[in-house]
Amino acid sequence: MSKGRILVVDDEDIVRTSCSRTLVPEGYEVTLVKNGFDGLALLEQGPIDLVLTDLKMPEIDGIEILRRVKEKWPQVEVIIITGYQTVDTAVKAIKLGAFDYLEKPFTPDGLIASVAKAFAHKKTA
Amino acid sequence: MDMLVKKSLHSLTGKLLLTIGTLMIVGSTIFWYFLFRHQEKELLENSVKYAYSFVDYIKKSTHYGMITAQSVLIQQTIEAIGSSEGVLSVRIFDCTGKIAYSSKSDEAGVRMKKDSPSCVRCHGTGLSPSDKPVVSFIRNSENKRVLNIMHPIYNERACYTASCHFHSRDQKMLGLVEANVSLAHLDKSIQQQGIAITMYILIFLFVISIALCTILWNLVSTPVSLLKQGMERVAGGDLDYTLDIRTKDEMGDLARAFNAMTSDLKKTKVELVEWGNTLEKKVQEKTQAIHMAQAQLIHSEKLASLGRMAAGVAHEINSPLTGIVTFGHLLLKRFPPGTQEREDVEVIIEQANRCSNIIKGLLGFARASAAEKAPTNVNDVLDRSLNIVRNKADFFNIKLITEFDESLHRVKADASQLQQVFTNMIINAADAVEGKGTITVISKNITDEGQPVAEIEFRDTGTGISPENIEKIFEPFFTTKPVGKGTGLGLAVSHGIIQDHGGKLLVNSKMGEGTSFFVQLPAYREEV
Repeated sequence: MSKGRILVVDDEDIVRTSCSRTLVPEGYEVTLVKNGFDGLALLEQGPIDLVLTDLKMPEIDGIEILRRVKEKWPQVEVIIITGYQTVDTAVKAIKLGAFDYLEKPFTPDGLIASVAKAFAHKKTA
Repeated sequence: MDMLVKKSLHSLTGKLLLTIGTLMIVGSTIFWYFLFRHQEKELLENSVKYAYSFVDYIKKSTHYGMITAQSVLIQQTIEAIGSSEGVLSVRIFDCTGKIAYSSKSDEAGVRMKKDSPSCVRCHGTGLSPSDKPVVSFIRNSENKRVLNIMHPIYNERACYTASCHFHSRDQKMLGLVEANVSLAHLDKSIQQQGIAITMYILIFLFVISIALCTILWNLVSTPVSLLKQGMERVAGGDLDYTLDIRTKDEMGDLARAFNAMTSDLKKTKVELVEWGNTLEKKVQEKTQAIHMAQAQLIHSEKLASLGRMAAGVAHEINSPLTGIVTFGHLLLKRFPPGTQEREDVEVIIEQANRCSNIIKGLLGFARASAAEKAPTNVNDVLDRSLNIVRNKADFFNIKLITEFDESLHRVKADASQLQQVFTNMIINAADAVEGKGTITVISKNITDEGQPVAEIEFRDTGTGISPENIEKIFEPFFTTKPVGKGTGLGLAVSHGIIQDHGGKLLVNSKMGEGTSFFVQLPAYREEV
């Protein structure tokens, strides 16, 4: 039994791999997609507990994914990952309902802690 | 001398004098000539009248002698008359041309020929001797003028009825009287009058010339030469020169106009000079301002492009860094503590983190525009910044002194950005004192250009910054710290942040004594 199902959306292969290599050993079920379309399609197909999404991507960006997830599946938590943080986008993301905001390069411990907090939050909610 | 005469002739006075003088001399000469001729004519007419009455007098004086035929009486009378002063000769001719009586007694009885000078006067010119008296002017042997008058003696009742019966009734003309009167006196008088008139005219010309010269000299020459002198002085640059001509005529007007022109010229010149001076100063000020603005623009442009680059670099570099950090940590778990491999991996992670920090520093530029500003108590932010550094090992031997003004103005600022700036300042100060020394943080209210400002000073007792470096310290990537210690971005980012807050970041440094950085932020004013 997995601790939860996590969808990672990032156009960078190394970031996706880092996430899976960090989170799978912790007992999460991790699905990796490289763009927003695939991510949203996967969300349609099956239940997902948490979405980790990059902010800056071609076509559908992280903010757009966040907005659609919160529209359709408000119970799904979203953690935004970004290469460079501006206060604007951080504020926007939090207002749209993002659970957390992770700055690259994140450490495995930081990622694990953030994800764990999200699941803990989900359970209490 | 020639030149002087020529110059005098060409001068205004010379020309006027020449013209007026010539006119006066010509006029006087004509006047003199006609006056003289008139005088002479008058005198001659008078003498002719006198001659008539003289001849008449002779006839009447001898009348009684003629009627009574007393030739001795007649001769005596004629001689008496002829002896008068100015009377040269008196003759009585009979009708045959014989001198019957003469003042010169030896001439009596002489018959004159018809071609003798006395006879030619009447007979030679075809005149009838019975006509009226003939007057003529002749010259005697002494070349003196003589008035000759001939008067016919007509027959009358007393002549042919006299007892001597000398003349018959049929005779028309009995003879004639001739008198020669000297005109020497008259000529002398005419000559004297001529001399007198000439003298009068010469004196008149002389007096008029003197008067004209004086008048022209005073009215024209003197003022004109003064004007000329004034113009030369003004042309030579002496604008203080004024003409002292106070007459009320055109010359006075000219002098006043000249003085007004000179004073206007002077005023204009002074204005021009002042304008030139201030212009130079203004140009200097403007040039300086343009240089400063240009430097500022270049600096801003540098920061802006660096910000854009940083954003791009951050996005691209942070993903591979994420991989390095994650896999580094994954590797770390495989090696037990104390092994060489674990230490090597730790170095990899540490260096990756360093890269990440450099990127974060660069991102300071990209972030500057996204500050969230709120009224902030600067002293609190300073406290937080100091608390962060206080516990670091680098600060163990550094004395930190704080002098906060409790009534410090609040400022509208992004507290986290301010904290970043303050932390940076304190860390820089710690680097400057090289681990031991004193850092003083002072906050106080000041006034800058009439506006209330909160100023925070970070003073260290370090080595100071050299003058050639002090200009570069706000440039990105400029650092004097050893490699690995600083990125050269701290002050550049701080400068950008403070500028974004409408404040100033200033520096004051003395080699060997230390450095003070001043952060000045405009006081926040509650909107009423």
